[in-house]
Amino acid sequence: MSTERNDIESLVNRRYEHGFVTDIESDSLPPGLDEDIVRAISAKKDEPEFMLEWRLKAYRHWLTMQEPAWAHVHYPKIDFQKISYFSAPISDEDRPKSLDDVDPKLLETYEKLGIPLHERAKLAGVAVDAVFDSVSVATTFKDKLFEAGVIFCPFSEAVTNHPDLIRKYLGSVVPYRDNFYATLNSAVFSDGSFVYVPKGVRCPMELSTYFRINAANTGQFERTLIIADEGSYVSYLEGCTAPMRDENQLHAAVVELVALKDAQIKYSTVQNWYPGDENGIGGIYNFVTKRGDCRGDNSKISWTQVETGSAITWKYPSCILRGENSVGEFYSVAVVNNMQQADTGTKMIHIGRNTRSTIVAKGISAGRAQSAYRGLVRIMPQAKDARNYTRCDSLLIGKDCGAHTFPYMEVKNPTAIIEHEATTSKISEDQLFYCRQRGISEEDAVNMIVNGFCKDVFKQLPMEFAVEAQNLLNVSLEGAVG
Amino acid sequence: MIAIAHELLEAAVRRMPEDALTPARKAALAHFATSGFPTVSDEDWKYTNLRHAVELSNTWLGNDIVASPESNLTAAAEEAVKAITESIDAYWIVVANGIATVDTMPGANDLRSNGVSITKLSQNGDVAAIIANDPMTSFNAALLQDGLRVRVQPSANPSKPLAFLFVDEATQGDLSQARLIIDVDAGATIDIIEAHVSVGSDPQFANTVIQLRVADGARVGFVRIQERADSHMQVGKLIADLRRDAYFDYASFDFGGSLIRNDVAVNIMEPGASVNLNGLYLASGKQHIDNHTRIDHRVGPSQSREEYRGILGGRSRCVFNGKAIVHKGADGTDAEQSNHNLLLSETAEIDTKPELEIYAEDVKCAHGATVGQLDNSALFYLRSRGLDRDAAVQLLTRAFAARILAAAPIAETHAYIAQKTDQRLDALIHGDSQ
Repeated sequence: MSTERNDIESLVNRRYEHGFVTDIESDSLPPGLDEDIVRAISAKKDEPEFMLEWRLKAYRHWLTMQEPAWAHVHYPKIDFQKISYFSAPISDEDRPKSLDDVDPKLLETYEKLGIPLHERAKLAGVAVDAVFDSVSVATTFKDKLFEAGVIFCPFSEAVTNHPDLIRKYLGSVVPYRDNFYATLNSAVFSDGSFVYVPKGVRCPMELSTYFRINAANTGQFERTLIIADEGSYVSYLEGCTAPMRDENQLHAAVVELVALKDAQIKYSTVQNWYPGDENGIGGIYNFVTKRGDCRGDNSKISWTQVETGSAITWKYPSCILRGENSVGEFYSVAVVNNMQQADTGTKMIHIGRNTRSTIVAKGISAGRAQSAYRGLVRIMPQAKDARNYTRCDSLLIGKDCGAHTFPYMEVKNPTAIIEHEATTSKISEDQLFYCRQRGISEEDAVNMIVNGFCKDVFKQLPMEFAVEAQNLLNVSLEGAVG
Repeated sequence: MIAIAHELLEAAVRRMPEDALTPARKAALAHFATSGFPTVSDEDWKYTNLRHAVELSNTWLGNDIVASPESNLTAAAEEAVKAITESIDAYWIVVANGIATVDTMPGANDLRSNGVSITKLSQNGDVAAIIANDPMTSFNAALLQDGLRVRVQPSANPSKPLAFLFVDEATQGDLSQARLIIDVDAGATIDIIEAHVSVGSDPQFANTVIQLRVADGARVGFVRIQERADSHMQVGKLIADLRRDAYFDYASFDFGGSLIRNDVAVNIMEPGASVNLNGLYLASGKQHIDNHTRIDHRVGPSQSREEYRGILGGRSRCVFNGKAIVHKGADGTDAEQSNHNLLLSETAEIDTKPELEIYAEDVKCAHGATVGQLDNSALFYLRSRGLDRDAAVQLLTRAFAARILAAAPIAETHAYIAQKTDQRLDALIHGDSQ
């Protein structure tokens, strides 16, 4: 192991690698939010009547709601009237039908991000439904998925082509009244991904979506819905990077997962939105509602996330363990540096008998950043023989950062076995000394120790993501040691 | 949501005798007016609903009896007092329905000669020391008849523990507010017992506040024994400020009460301080026992150790919320916290939340929590050796509780606590198997 980057000063001052703006003509709605905007979004997407009604119901309910203040994060009040709620790279009619039709400038963007879409897709066997701002522009590997009967398409397409599935499942996990940001999303969501895996089908490839935020002042309101029908399996990857920008950008996504009997969903995220600069200027507000419903017996939902970006993260991927013997998992690494704030964790709601959940959360705080784990494990009275194991560890790098743990455990059944463990400490001097003594530079030693600290989570990630995640971690912590 | 009838409260405060505490009452009333009683939408009260306490307070405030406190105990109450004061050898001070009678206290001279002085708060005149910074402490201060000021002088080391017995009677006062302010001077060593008993089947609500200041190098052993009557509610708060190298060793035992909320807030203000908090709660029937602890490590190095254990049967519900906060710059903090719970019945509920908030770097903090039931293989092992089910359960639950019993300071209390624990476990196990 060696590093040529010894000059810590230069590392601290290093700018965000993925910060640039692609100059593409955007078709945006003016900033502001009222019923007309909601109607306009729905009209732009040619949605059926039931969708518009649903959006309006959400919008009207949103007006009655208060912005939540319980999270351990601080930020200036968001002016929801200053946000533009719709932005498409080019108008709907001219939407590219395949990768070749895609604006070369856009492809260049991906190139700069180090994600050669077609190459990567071919090499890794991954189908990519790339979301640029708010409308999906390229979808690959459709045929192969079509053969298997898997539906993987932009949300708006699903609304047109599969209205029955949308009607049945949309809002069935995260209802439109759920919480402030989820309700806002329900009213104004622009697009996202839709996945349906039919009975007994093992999805032939890992599904992947890259989200980017591009046009200025547009909050991105993604909505993802994944349904795994009886006995099916799907692994879904989501990764993000975002251009550098000075205004704070709001990202309020909703992800709903439904696992029916014997089905399994594995959802992996690498999140690297623009975190703001070292003084906390700019950066994304990432207020996301992610929830999975293990609706059928023996179903399983597994969340894995590596969170290194965003100025503020407010995210609790959760599992509702309704089916008997259903399993929920949450593996998370959250890294915050400079002025970043993260309040993240999970909820495991045990309803069915013999349900099991595992939570492994690793938090790393550096610079002046604050990270918090907030988790809820609830065992309902009928959840006989439920089992939960929770481990959350925090690592502190630097004098000015903070790490917090807020675990809630609510147990209403005596047969449940619940274990929770948490530790917080700094990188051990002994470990550092040992590495240094063997000729490893301090920075490499810290990277090694941090990677070791996160190993339990990284090994849950699909291979190519695991590599990306390790690199991201090293980049995120650059300049934090010294 | 039912709120406290503010005009009744104001009138009650006005009716209280004009004395040295009057300004403190008025200030506390003003503070209370901004918040009212906490509700379940307050994060700190998420699992504990004070609705019944509010209802009772409103009725009581409307009854116009505030001005005539009664500190004479009935025969039943005297019996309850005797039961505990004769079992534990200590200097007992009885706080009856919120009113302490120091003048007639046996052993007062003995204590004085050992460097412990006790005066009434109203005589002492130091009303600025009264803390009223949250809803329940300000409610206490607003209606405070009088309190006790205890001063433990440097090098004091009394031969017996100093014991306060809070005794309440539903027929005498439905509401009682009691407050102790205890200063332990530098280098002093003292054992303090806080015991609660109550009699009567009508509802009663007691709200107690204890402020403890432990000066440089002083050592305080503290045992709380709570055995209130089935229908009685109590909210209690202990605020302990620790100075340089101070040592605070605390154990709490909850046996009784219908709704009990006990807050322990420890402030480590200077380096070298060390604190142990231990707790055992045994709940059955419809009991609701809520233990909230908060340890503020404001400077380092300092150490805290905390372990709470609970055994729940019937339809009881217990809450544990432990918070360890390591402030910026409190490097060298070593904090450990754990909470373990045994659920013995289908309908019991535990809500536990061990929290860490850390703003310093050089720290070692850990917490753990478990919830489970008795180990079936352990039960089988005991039964295969001829114990009946009840005896086996009794043995295992007793072993579960033993850790806290062993960790408790103040040897004079141990036999009494062990006996009460056995009695409660017996009731809990039999109540459960019916």
